[in-house]
Amino acid sequence: MKKALLPLLMTALFYSDSVFMIFFSEQAFDGAYMPVPRFFIIGLLFMSVFFDRNTAIKYGFFFGFLFDMFYTGLLGAYFFFLPLIVYITSMLTKWLHGTLPVFLVIVLFDIALLELVMYGLNVLVQRTTFSFEQFTYMRLLATFVLNALFYILFAIPLRGAFLKLKKVFD
Amino acid sequence: MPHFLTNKRLIILLGSIILLVAMIGFSMRDRENITWPEKFIKDVTGFGQNIVSKPAGAVESFFDDVSRLRHTYEENEKLRTHLEELAQLESDVARLEKDNAELRKVLEKEDSLADYEPVQATVIARNPDRWYELITIDQGESNGIEPDMAVMTASGLVGKVQSTSKFTSTVQLLSAHDSNNRVSALVQGDKTVYGLIEGYDEEKQMLQLTKIPSDAKVKKGQAVTTSGLGGVFPKGLVIGKVSELVPDEFGLTQTALVKPAASFYDLEHVMVSKRKMTKVLPEEEDRQQVVVEEEGM
Repeated sequence: MKKALLPLLMTALFYSDSVFMIFFSEQAFDGAYMPVPRFFIIGLLFMSVFFDRNTAIKYGFFFGFLFDMFYTGLLGAYFFFLPLIVYITSMLTKWLHGTLPVFLVIVLFDIALLELVMYGLNVLVQRTTFSFEQFTYMRLLATFVLNALFYILFAIPLRGAFLKLKKVFD
Repeated sequence: MPHFLTNKRLIILLGSIILLVAMIGFSMRDRENITWPEKFIKDVTGFGQNIVSKPAGAVESFFDDVSRLRHTYEENEKLRTHLEELAQLESDVARLEKDNAELRKVLEKEDSLADYEPVQATVIARNPDRWYELITIDQGESNGIEPDMAVMTASGLVGKVQSTSKFTSTVQLLSAHDSNNRVSALVQGDKTVYGLIEGYDEEKQMLQLTKIPSDAKVKKGQAVTTSGLGGVFPKGLVIGKVSELVPDEFGLTQTALVKPAASFYDLEHVMVSKRKMTKVLPEEEDRQQVVVEEEGM
């Protein structure tokens, strides 16, 4: 029964992004900054490090697929890059064996990577007119701040949750 | 890196890149609506989204109400002045509507481009990755919503339905950057001027009304509404007000910057307009008759 908590936790994280968008007023800062919630991805990275990498890759595929279909309509983008980012993180954590502050740097690196890839993809399919400067100033910095805040607030509970779940599955 | 790219991994990587390109190509195609597996997944995900965002929305609107409570007095004053005008306006509208119906009967032209039935919907999600200005609403095909229908709030047009599934639909906002996102519009004045709403100026937060003839006189503050000539949107939905006029690069046409009447941010409740008169071609049976007549000639 306790095994069902894992998909439940990930589903909650999946919807948390859009719930944040409901509460967050888009006209905050006069629309000058566009922080993008990446809470699900942070959760996925915690899962890959503190739970199990291969399960995290599977979850990345599945929820990436849902994300593409339900939110963006551009099939394949998150479906492909979420598992890739989990894989890259698992490589990085092998070299940088980490405490939570080190992991924060890795998480922010991953988010920056994902944002860059998505920006590149959207320029490629001509769905955006953002210049690179606009992208870095308006989106990337604000996204860093928002997700770092989320990390600081939820890093310890998330780590605890995944370590406990690992015990349940073992 | 000896173990980084072994044969098996390389094949998986290449295979998935091919799959990625194919999938993006598939979804970028100019298609009328999404396929049934996509619809199914949207419905399932939308069901969960409904459960999550309805309470969240309720909490949010509660806080909004509380903050609005502080301005109640000022608002009341303002509304009272409007109320006096409203009674007069209402009787005028009733009289004009009756006139209009009678005159239409005389002309034997009962359908109008302006007729539509509104369907109320609640916004359940906004694309969290914020690249596309897309929102998801909780009404779908089961309520008669189809792609390309106009979506508006009480203050004006906000976008159009991009795709539908059984119980949800995805709405593309007017502020989205998409070259297929065009709305036929008109500027109200002594002489009606037609143009196309095409593109959005992010910095000024204004819509661009392009293809206005260079000799047309458009003044600041004139109202812009849909023209109903695009074939899908009803006529007369408010879009906004002209705020600036610039000649385009070649000087052949003019472009007006239009301040949208509705806010594209913090949308909560929207209306989808089902236009009553959608057929451009005559009905199937009538068409056959036309062909027969032509053959006889």
